[in-house]
Amino acid sequence: MTTTTTMTMTTKRTRTRTVRTILDPFFTPGRIARPGARGVVLFLLAMAPVALAAADSLSGYAIPEPGVKFEFPRDHGSHPRFRVEWWYVTGHLWDEQARRYGFQATFFRTAAPHRLPEAAARGVASPNFGTDHLFLSHLALLDVASARFLHEERLHREGWAAGAATNTLHVWNGGSSLVLTQAVGLEQMHLRAAIRAEASWDLQLTAAKPLVVFGTNGVSRKGETSTAASHYLTFPRLDVSGRLTVAGTTRTVRGQAWMDHEFSSSQLSAGQSGWDWVSVQLAEGREIMAYRMRRKDGTTDPFSTLAWVGRDGHVIHQPAGAFELMPLARWKSPGSGAEYPLGLALRAQDPETGTAVEYRLIPLARDQELPGRIGDVPYWEGACRVEDVVGREVGSAFVELTGYAGDLAGRLR
Amino acid sequence: MDSRGLLLLLWRRFTLRHWALAPGQSVLLVLILALGIAVYFSVRLANRAAGASFQHFTDLVAAESDWVIQAEAGDLREAVLPELARRLGSEPVTLLPVVESTATPPPSGGPETIGDRVTYRVLGIDLVGVQNLARDAAEDAQAQGWFDREAVEAPEAEAGESLFWKTLRDPTSVFISSELARRDGLTAGGILELVLNERVVALRVAGVIPEVPGQPAAPATLLVMDLPALQFWTGRTGLLSRVEFRVAKGADAGLRRAALRDRLEAWSREPWESPVDRDRDAAFAGAERWRVSSPSERREAGEVMTRAFRLNLTILSLLALLVGWYLIVQAMDGAVVRRRAEIGMLRSLGVEASTLRRAWLLESAVIGLLGGLLGALLGWAGAQVSVRVVGRTVNALYYATSVETATLSAGEWWGAIGLALASSLAAGWWPARVAARVPPVQLMARFAAASPVAWAVKHPWPGAALLVVGGVFACLGPVRFEGGVRFPAGGYLAALCWIVGAGLLGSRCLSAAARALRPLGARSALWRLGVSALVEPTGRHALATAGLVCAVAMTAGMVLLVGSFDRTMRGWIARTFQADLYLSSAGAQSASTDNRISPETWRRLAAHPGVAEFNPLRACEIRLMGASTILAGGDLAFMRRHVDLAWVEPPTDQAAFFDRAAADPATQGRGSEAEPVPVLVLASESFAERFQLRREARLELPTPAGPRLVEIAGVFADYGNERGSLVVEGRQYAAWFGTDHIASLIVKLKDPAAAERVRSEWLGEYPGLQILTNAHLRAEILRIFRQTFAITYALEAIGVVVAVIGLGMTLASVLIERRGDWTTLRALGMRRDELARVAAIEGLVVAAVGLAVGLLVSGALGWLLIRVINKQTFGWTLQFAVPVGALALLAALVLLGAGTVSYALGRWGARLPADREE
Repeated sequence: MTTTTTMTMTTKRTRTRTVRTILDPFFTPGRIARPGARGVVLFLLAMAPVALAAADSLSGYAIPEPGVKFEFPRDHGSHPRFRVEWWYVTGHLWDEQARRYGFQATFFRTAAPHRLPEAAARGVASPNFGTDHLFLSHLALLDVASARFLHEERLHREGWAAGAATNTLHVWNGGSSLVLTQAVGLEQMHLRAAIRAEASWDLQLTAAKPLVVFGTNGVSRKGETSTAASHYLTFPRLDVSGRLTVAGTTRTVRGQAWMDHEFSSSQLSAGQSGWDWVSVQLAEGREIMAYRMRRKDGTTDPFSTLAWVGRDGHVIHQPAGAFELMPLARWKSPGSGAEYPLGLALRAQDPETGTAVEYRLIPLARDQELPGRIGDVPYWEGACRVEDVVGREVGSAFVELTGYAGDLAGRLR
Repeated sequence: MDSRGLLLLLWRRFTLRHWALAPGQSVLLVLILALGIAVYFSVRLANRAAGASFQHFTDLVAAESDWVIQAEAGDLREAVLPELARRLGSEPVTLLPVVESTATPPPSGGPETIGDRVTYRVLGIDLVGVQNLARDAAEDAQAQGWFDREAVEAPEAEAGESLFWKTLRDPTSVFISSELARRDGLTAGGILELVLNERVVALRVAGVIPEVPGQPAAPATLLVMDLPALQFWTGRTGLLSRVEFRVAKGADAGLRRAALRDRLEAWSREPWESPVDRDRDAAFAGAERWRVSSPSERREAGEVMTRAFRLNLTILSLLALLVGWYLIVQAMDGAVVRRRAEIGMLRSLGVEASTLRRAWLLESAVIGLLGGLLGALLGWAGAQVSVRVVGRTVNALYYATSVETATLSAGEWWGAIGLALASSLAAGWWPARVAARVPPVQLMARFAAASPVAWAVKHPWPGAALLVVGGVFACLGPVRFEGGVRFPAGGYLAALCWIVGAGLLGSRCLSAAARALRPLGARSALWRLGVSALVEPTGRHALATAGLVCAVAMTAGMVLLVGSFDRTMRGWIARTFQADLYLSSAGAQSASTDNRISPETWRRLAAHPGVAEFNPLRACEIRLMGASTILAGGDLAFMRRHVDLAWVEPPTDQAAFFDRAAADPATQGRGSEAEPVPVLVLASESFAERFQLRREARLELPTPAGPRLVEIAGVFADYGNERGSLVVEGRQYAAWFGTDHIASLIVKLKDPAAAERVRSEWLGEYPGLQILTNAHLRAEILRIFRQTFAITYALEAIGVVVAVIGLGMTLASVLIERRGDWTTLRALGMRRDELARVAAIEGLVVAAVGLAVGLLVSGALGWLLIRVINKQTFGWTLQFAVPVGALALLAALVLLGAGTVSYALGRWGARLPADREE
């Protein structure tokens, strides 16, 4: 059985998330003066045409259409007609001893450029070793008590080792997978992942709030060109329960997660140097998603936005000028040398009360940097606790900081 | 004076003085020891290199794997991947599927000799997935990646399709080793033409295989392609050579590793999840779908395969050392005798016996050390040559190896020097004992103590006893190792006993021969003088004879073996190869090439109007009882008509056998579950010998269609390989393996005279084929066969050379001893030339006796080699043949060598002053 959701919310721009960090550096080989960063790595090569295509045509790939009627569970699944797609789960867990963890499980899909029929005929078709789609996963776990941050990325071609169903949500990469187990009523998902032999988790995710579709008429515009757009679906609050194994010890855990599912054929726009993205889950039941595009001159891009998700799932957007993300402190990564603004103050107007509010997003550990070896672009994606101005803990958050390990803008040519 | 000071004084005034007096002899002694060590050492190094050349190549492109699964026969179905991925879930295990094949450069067009072109090992791996492993291995990301710009950048890189996709999607993309890139000047975008299966494919160099930290660099012969591309070119779509597993490091890695093996083994006994053919798959019920092994087990299996061959070579290489050792014993013994006056004097002056013994042992040790150092150097140099020869044989008989250099480890060095030291100390032990023990009076009185050798020479029964003991050894069966390897220890011990025994007895013949020969040249004073010296031969003469007997017997025995082999092979070739054209892939350059002919190609060729009959041959390596052997499929009806099988055990009813075996495979081998009817197969003699299975034996054969019951209907002689083979009807094979790719096609033409014309027509159309005419094939088989014996000949020749040098040394010391007599003879008017001739006669008689006895023993040795050693090692029955020409050549060379050396020494001896001390 399927449910149909028409999109309700609009936004000028959604975050381009990590995929962009992954593909950007392709254009400037050798630009990051980072030890060990040598040459260009696979995924970038794979993704390069996406960016180039943004300027002219989409080479036969689908363009997000306004007014599209999403059908579920089909639209939770893969959309191979689109060039880029990801399923992005971030969340907070507590075990029975109230020990706290943060986790991230991201499944990216990217399609190869279309081939001329002659070239396709020369190629070798193999169901287990496909050459049309690549899958990249980013997995991370933070054990707050020990401040130990584990992470792993895996790259596979479409086939036996990785893939995504087109009729429902079933995406897998290596030993990790995200599967929709119940599509009726409150959606349920099963997330299984492992970071080498160091950590693994087996979690049930149950939608605590209905799915949110960002953008106008189902389309989230990304830039000036009409083709630079995406379909952007989000579960802003998922109840999580399951088992977490760290260093051989298995614990029962509970918590909350946030999940994005976005697909597009072009996500890029020139001129930015990076972005700060936050998702806040307030204990009182509302969520905030905010996104600040940083321009080269240090100003905030007008496409930046903030969205409030009400207790009933109703979304209210606020434009770039209506909110602020201010750094509270700085931390220099010993790995990449990037200096991140760790600890952000989010200032906006609460649409319920009409008063100005400030939330402080305090990282649960400083080092939550993903080195992004395959993408060759380090970024910070980490669990934070949310405090109000008097220091009371009022929720939890995830923050994504990109473009701090070198200027992204230089790579956008 | 303390004992150390005394030892040094003795060393200077006693040992060194003698060395200085006869520098040539000392140098020669060191050289002989060095030669013996060098031969042994070079073969050892070459052997080790060849043994270790069975490589697990995947380790070079990704971190070392923990487990490998592969089918017992043929390829593994690709369907195993999703199944394993599902079963493993999020276990921290990385899977690396592999397709492995071989390729060669295309033939140049000129006349071909098989094995001349290099054989590349082509590894098909998932170029995307392998990068995860590479990254795991390179923690600091310093390692160069597969798609690094610096390594891959090609000028045509354009915007539309990135270089990565171009590489991945182009089935001709190939990664080469940096060594090949450097050697052949290949860069990214360059073209490498290769024969893959029977096709000549122009591959495009996509980049250089990146190095994996902690692993050696890829050898020049390793190529890497994307897995599905290699599947495509080799006609193995949907099939894998193996799947490798890498267990993530970390806590409990050892436990997880062991548990994974248990699970993989348990899963292998479960039914296929996605059956290809329910009937076929049903046969797997309860049987293992795959075999689990570790890379080290795989390497060991490769070593086991060549173990018998390498052991045989080692034994032969010890021969030169043995002969050299004889000579050192002799030389040291001679030195004691020559220096006895001095020894006596030293003893009278109060030098302790133990000090003297130490002085002698020191001398031996110095010779050993010098000989060992020089020998190790020479051996290392020699190994660079012998390794290629050994490599060629391993290629022809066992598996593709490209080993071209033998490396030297510190351990090997010390091993060689230690061996030299041990040999020379063992040789010097008796003389040292004599020098120390014999009372000064006896020494001064020139009393020669009886050495054990001299004693053994004096009495007939030690020699006779050795012959008898040897006879007992010859009757023993082989020592059996795992993997079907046999080692004829009894045979070799028998050979040793017979050689030493005959050497001892042979030296007794010296005197008898001299007595018999003396009257022949009664009128010649030179003759009488030369022969008389041998009527009462010295111990040294006896030793020289024994050395010669040993070397000649071994060499002539080998000549007999090879001669018999040659004749047997010729007969076998004539009976077996009666067709007109033999087609295989031009990549078929060694025993293990995977290049096959695709069904489209061979069916088209077989439909040629000039073709009268054809026999498509299929073959594949299978594992049986833990050992690797070969399962072949051929058209039995064709074989019945055109191959004259040499039966060791013929089928009880040949006509009935061929009728039943050639029946429709669908009806073959069917029976009730309670009473299964086996499929009839023929076994080669090597197979029967190796697995101890005779006619009517039944066994379960692993096939891709599950285990099948077969019965050996007959055993035939086959000299194609030593691993043994089973032959089954070709259609049955095709049904089991589900593939119509063949290894070779045998063609009988309507007009045999048209062979050359049809051959060139086909070659024009299929440049990736190797097409041999009957005559060419026969010549090639003989050439390869002789090539495998090249190293054996070389080793024997060195043995003979050492023996002839030994004869020269003997003569030299005899001449020195007789210097007084010679001065008298010169005073009596004998010319230098005449004296040289006397020496030549003496040398020739010793050589002739050694030769005669050696040849006699070689008959027995030849029998031993053919009927015991060869049969037990390789399982080949050979007809006995006496290659008279080769034996005559050997005799002539020995006599010529002995005569020349003796004559030269005679000329030198004639000049010796009477008062020359040594």
